[in-house]
Amino acid sequence: MSVPRIDDFEDMFDNAPCGYLVLQPNGRVARINRTMLGWTGYTADQIVGKRFSDILTIAGRIFYEIHIAPLLRMQGFFNEFAIDVLGADGKPLHMIANALEGRDAEGKPLFVRLALIKATDRRLYESQLLQARDAATISLANERATSELREQFIAVLGHDLRNPLASISAGARILGREAKSDREHQVVAMLQSTVMRMAGLIDNVLDFARGRLGGGITLDRNASAPLEPVLHQVIDELRLSSPGRQITEEYSIDVPVDCDRSRIGQLVSNLVGNAVTHGSSSQPVTVNASTEKGVFKLTVCNGGEPIPEEAMTKLFEPFFRGKVRASRQGLGLGLHIASQIAKAHDGTITVSSTARETCFKFVMPLR
Amino acid sequence: MTDGVSGKIEMNVTARNNVRVRGSGDRAMMFAHGFGCDQNMWRIVEPAFEPDFRTVLFDQVGAGGSDLGAYDKTKYATLGGYADDVVEIGRELGLKDAVFVGHSVSAMIGALAVQKEPGMFGKLVMIGPSAKYINDGDYVGGFGASQIEELLQFLEANHMGWSAQMAPMIMGNADRPELGEELTNSFCRTDPEIAKAFARVTFMSDNRADLPKVDVPTLVLQCSEDVIAPQAAGEFVHRSIPKSQFVLLEATGHCPNLSAPDEVITAMRAFV
Repeated sequence: MSVPRIDDFEDMFDNAPCGYLVLQPNGRVARINRTMLGWTGYTADQIVGKRFSDILTIAGRIFYEIHIAPLLRMQGFFNEFAIDVLGADGKPLHMIANALEGRDAEGKPLFVRLALIKATDRRLYESQLLQARDAATISLANERATSELREQFIAVLGHDLRNPLASISAGARILGREAKSDREHQVVAMLQSTVMRMAGLIDNVLDFARGRLGGGITLDRNASAPLEPVLHQVIDELRLSSPGRQITEEYSIDVPVDCDRSRIGQLVSNLVGNAVTHGSSSQPVTVNASTEKGVFKLTVCNGGEPIPEEAMTKLFEPFFRGKVRASRQGLGLGLHIASQIAKAHDGTITVSSTARETCFKFVMPLR
Repeated sequence: MTDGVSGKIEMNVTARNNVRVRGSGDRAMMFAHGFGCDQNMWRIVEPAFEPDFRTVLFDQVGAGGSDLGAYDKTKYATLGGYADDVVEIGRELGLKDAVFVGHSVSAMIGALAVQKEPGMFGKLVMIGPSAKYINDGDYVGGFGASQIEELLQFLEANHMGWSAQMAPMIMGNADRPELGEELTNSFCRTDPEIAKAFARVTFMSDNRADLPKVDVPTLVLQCSEDVIAPQAAGEFVHRSIPKSQFVLLEATGHCPNLSAPDEVITAMRAFV
């Protein structure tokens, strides 16, 4: 074998690091280089004069005739197409190819030149990526479907629990009117506070499910109705269900607040409920609300152990629960929903917690 | 506008199928591309008829500049769905006694459209038609059932390979600046998922029974050495359509409208 020269074009074609094919305008092979012959296992006699289609797989043949060939005629080139060439042993060779059409002065086709590179590994990698992607897509769709089903179930359950609860509440009210002894009053008060707690849990669950199913917290804003009475009532109810605990209120709401009053009530109830549950029972829970400088500000503070550092970042996440005894545990949704209500009002809830006191502050812009 | 039957809002047909109307004349000529391409494949043949005909070009839904959002799996599960689109375009443009030029599978779509709306098309030109691609007893379609299955499975398993081919990102060729910006707009774009479905509809189709009912003059243009629609298939189409003529072109391959446009134009002129 002679030593190849650097400018030997014949050798450059024949022993190129890629396969070369030259086709006549009728699609028949005019030349094929040695590299390609080596890869496919054919001899030149077997290929020259045959249609290029003949050494492609069925898919490749169809693809070439209805897509590559027309595009070559239209734009003169077609780069980076994947194609499977049939080897002499009948096995497909996965390749990537570029094609270029040579034309005469009038634009009539003279030949097509093809450069082909083996791409077995690359094609394998691609097809594995695709399979993984397909599997992930299906898996995701399944997860979403299951998740939606679960949340719909929660919503229905929450809804269905309300009726029995309303009955108990009504019954407790009736009993309360007829209660005579202290003991009876105590029991009725406990019933009512328990009912309230359950109602709160169910409301939180429903809000959460609704939020996840895409409804979000919808607001029914009203700028004219006063806010103070609602706050007062919410806190009164909490006082009722937390006997022995002191909850102080201080309001200076000087301008109308354009908000959804019942939602703000819910927010306050969640914050104050938390303060009562987690705060020191020997110190009062303080609630301050005011309007100033274009914002409505509401702060709920309690004494007792500060919130641990690691809990601070997770406070507003759904299902995050602090450490309290089981009978006082909620679902971990109260703060999450409170923050969602704040967000719906274009506001924020922030928290600061020291050994002296823990304060949750809700701020929203006045419209 | 609402469709009383399904309640869906009717799509603007011109937008859905990227319809272009050119030329001028008493009669109209509608060009329908086949699988694997879009209306750009008529770029050499269509202009030749603009002086004498109102020419209509469009993209099948899923190809070229058509509205991919309009693709409906159920509707386009048969060639009849595509024929409905053709009829809708014809109605929108008020076509009567027009010429329908269908390449490859669109030749059969034309045969169906002719029957759905008699009078809309007065003449049919079929380029590289095949009534059925899979062999059946004595009938030669050119492919064995297992080969078509191999093709469809290849599309399933290798769809990136196919989609890299079928939806090419055609970059401007830096070596050939004279090719210009236009070519970066990738001719023959098609959505890979829709292409898979269209391939199945096309290659599993059997329109042999529809052909005897085509009662308009039909020109069958057959390429020499067409591996997709071999001569036996073209001859079958010719034999099955009562008022048909058969012309064997010297052109080879499946797209003579691109590889031998002069031959196609000449044959068509003699017919229309």
